[in-house]
Amino acid sequence: MIHLSAVTKSYNTGKSNEFTAVGDVSLSIARERVTVLKGPSGSGKTTLLSLIGCMSRPTSGRIRLSGVRPSWLPTGEGETELDVTSLPERFLTDIRRHAFGFIFQQFNLVRGVSVLENVMLPALPSGERRLEITARALALLERFGLAGKRESRVELLSGGEAQRVAIARALINDPLVLIADEPTAHLDSRLSRQFMELVESFRAEGKTVVIASHDPIVYAAGLVDDLVEMRDGRLAPAEAEPA
Amino acid sequence: MNRSLERQRNILDFTLASLLRRKGKNLSLLAIYIFIVFIIASVTFFTTALKREALLLLSEAPEMVVQRLSAGRHDLISHDYAEGIAAIRGVTAVTPRLWGYYFDPTTGANYTLLVPPAGTAVPGVVTVGAGVARNLGLAADDLLPLRSYRGESLLYTVEAVLSSESELIATDLVLMAAGDFQQLFNMPPGFAVDLAVSVANPRELATVAGKIVERYPDTRPILKSEILRTYDAIFDWRGGMMIVLLMAAVFSFLVFAWDKAAGLSAEERREIGILKSIGWETGDVLLLKFWEGCAVSLSAFCLGVLFAFVHVFVFSAPIFAPALKGWAVIYPAFRLTPEVSPLQLAILFFLTVVPYTVATIVPSWRAATIDPDAAMRQ
Amino acid sequence: MILHPAVLALLIASVLISAMVLFASFHASHILKHWDRESGSELQLQLERNTYLISTLLAYALLFQLLSLALLVYVADTLHVQIAGAMCAVGTFNANSLGYPALALKIGNFLFAGLWLILNFADARGYDYPLIRAKYSLLLVLALPIYLESLLVWRFFFGLKGDVITSCCGSLFSTGQGTVSSELAGLPPLPTAGAFYLGAFLTLALWLWFLRGRGRGYALAIVAGLTFLAGVAATISYFAPTFYELPHHHCPFCLLQAEYHHLGYLLYATLFGGAVAGMGCGVLAPFHGIPSLSATLPWLQRRLALLCLLCYGLFTLIVTLRVLTSDFRLFS
Repeated sequence: MIHLSAVTKSYNTGKSNEFTAVGDVSLSIARERVTVLKGPSGSGKTTLLSLIGCMSRPTSGRIRLSGVRPSWLPTGEGETELDVTSLPERFLTDIRRHAFGFIFQQFNLVRGVSVLENVMLPALPSGERRLEITARALALLERFGLAGKRESRVELLSGGEAQRVAIARALINDPLVLIADEPTAHLDSRLSRQFMELVESFRAEGKTVVIASHDPIVYAAGLVDDLVEMRDGRLAPAEAEPA
Repeated sequence: MNRSLERQRNILDFTLASLLRRKGKNLSLLAIYIFIVFIIASVTFFTTALKREALLLLSEAPEMVVQRLSAGRHDLISHDYAEGIAAIRGVTAVTPRLWGYYFDPTTGANYTLLVPPAGTAVPGVVTVGAGVARNLGLAADDLLPLRSYRGESLLYTVEAVLSSESELIATDLVLMAAGDFQQLFNMPPGFAVDLAVSVANPRELATVAGKIVERYPDTRPILKSEILRTYDAIFDWRGGMMIVLLMAAVFSFLVFAWDKAAGLSAEERREIGILKSIGWETGDVLLLKFWEGCAVSLSAFCLGVLFAFVHVFVFSAPIFAPALKGWAVIYPAFRLTPEVSPLQLAILFFLTVVPYTVATIVPSWRAATIDPDAAMRQ
Repeated sequence: MILHPAVLALLIASVLISAMVLFASFHASHILKHWDRESGSELQLQLERNTYLISTLLAYALLFQLLSLALLVYVADTLHVQIAGAMCAVGTFNANSLGYPALALKIGNFLFAGLWLILNFADARGYDYPLIRAKYSLLLVLALPIYLESLLVWRFFFGLKGDVITSCCGSLFSTGQGTVSSELAGLPPLPTAGAFYLGAFLTLALWLWFLRGRGRGYALAIVAGLTFLAGVAATISYFAPTFYELPHHHCPFCLLQAEYHHLGYLLYATLFGGAVAGMGCGVLAPFHGIPSLSATLPWLQRRLALLCLLCYGLFTLIVTLRVLTSDFRLFS
């Protein structure tokens, strides 16, 4: 599904404070499986996650996707794989919007805006009709038991509710891949286990899930298919080429 | 096509909601913006309205007036000149005019004294404008006292008060007979203040004027078109000067706007970061900022213009009147005719909205290019 | 110099537009020098962000250019009162030798900027920045006439002297009157109008030809450009006098006034719109071979060609209706 070859991401290149967040990582994320990136904080998990999710571009190395066919690509070219490394931002965003859904550590909901609006946000620039977006958002809220909260402002939600709103928002464009960064950092154990049950249901629906976490409830869960261990921006040696 | 329209609509909706959410924060900017539009709109409305009033005053004026100069100053002109000018080809009529100003020390007012042409006025009898009547509490058949050049008091019977319809033009007018006028000001008979000249073909005005100067080198013909042109230029120049002075204010407003746009609050920065991370693209955020600018500019522009309109046309521009009226042109109590032309609005747009927009381009772009992964690293 | 508020507005606008273009071309030259699409370096990422800045600046510059073009004509029309011998905007532009060059440059720059934005639009739809070098090189070329235009506008207005009564002498007019020519000498009316109709017809024919997949759009672009020129010439020599019903009033600006229901705005909008769309078709033509544009270009060109045809069609319709319904005959 997602193939990284020799990917490096550095910041402040050429300056005294240059540092490499991710160095020379080659990795393949398999389709319809749950992959967990495990490692201490500062090990480059989040940066790697943002590279996988087409959110930032690598300083060097290449990233290819398979199974994604954006409408703007002329037919007959790159049938199997699409190299997204050097795509202009608007195309990369287009892919990201449709292929990836993001769940953030801090949930990243927009304050002062209702639950429903928050869920609809990622779909606004796609040019879909508002009615269609609203219908989809309402269905998702229904599914996560938030239908009664649709008009509430997000600041007033509990941690568990806020995360479910964030999950609903990640699913609004029906993505192929769900990406979660430390999803259980702000949840108690009960809610964390509930989250993992949701992850299982996503996999059952055919979604690929990538999670960065150092929480044992996540990486030790039985449903994890692939475990990738990171340290100092590189893959830990034993896990260099999983699956 | 439909998709891009929907995209515009969706983003516009979100922009307006965000603005309302943060209305307190944008209020100071909006207030200053409105004030800037208001000031400049007031200047342009007021000068244009004054110009129009002046033109209105001139609409009755003769096409050409001939004055005599003596030692470089305006002097009385002999009726002989009138006969000579009437003989010039193309001139249809020459009317000697008698008029002047009279300062009334008791009320502190200035009256315009005028001898109507063709001797329609009876000696000892005057017709007064509505303003004069109001000032002195006169009605028909009352007596109007005027002090002559020697200081003696002369009494005239008021025959009629001019209707208030013509107030604007005739409010300070006193119409009297030629003999009374000459007696009042010690003016010798056979002389006029100036000559009104009519010419059959308006295209020949310049040629006729040339011939008059050639024949009488001590005269100065003045064409109505020149007076119009001069008024136009003087009022425009005054308005322009005011605006040049106001540009300093506009400039400080721009610095403020730039600062406001560049200094995104942590909350806004976070919000744009979130939007970028969940699938908004730089272009989408730029569009959001574009709509934001449109909403702010549109409301500031409309409110500023509205306030200026009320200021100038309802309250007769108390803020600018002293600076812009200059000479004691116009009569105490009258309202300027309300009229706003597309040109004035276009000028306003270029002096306020365009600089504001330019000042916010770079800050908006900076905000829009926040990295999408910034939201992940907090 | 005439210190009219509108003149100030125009001067400020010209400085702002030039500054925006200068800023944009500074970034463009930076991009041309350092562009490396394959690289993921921070420099390259920054350059890619800068492309958004340049597009935004140019889009606003074009908008302001269009508005200030309208303002310039409007101002010229207002100022004629202050210039001895000027009867309308024509006289103001004629008041010194820079009026018409400034106006012509402004129109030309507007057309150019429109074409550049079409190129930019196409480039944004290719997933590998296909036109980046072409469009930024063109931007650097386009910048020069824009600076020149600002210079001319400034010098035109600074050279403009209002004729005002001075205290020493009231007879300035005798020197002023007659020196400013207040009429545009038109070309021979019928051949010019004929040339325009021929151009409009050829545009239609080439559109049909283009729609059937023939040609790349070069011919259409050239004919659209020529038709634009013929349209302007025919407006001056034939259509305007027909609208005014005055055989010797060739002024192209009076059409904009309220007496003629501001019809001029619609006429010129269609003429300018048609020219930009038609010539835009040709600007895109050389890039047919680029794979990342193979889906967008034909679609965009068809759109532009259609827009060009609709614009010219509307123009033709309006002027023809007027010619047919007016009792006035230029040659009777």
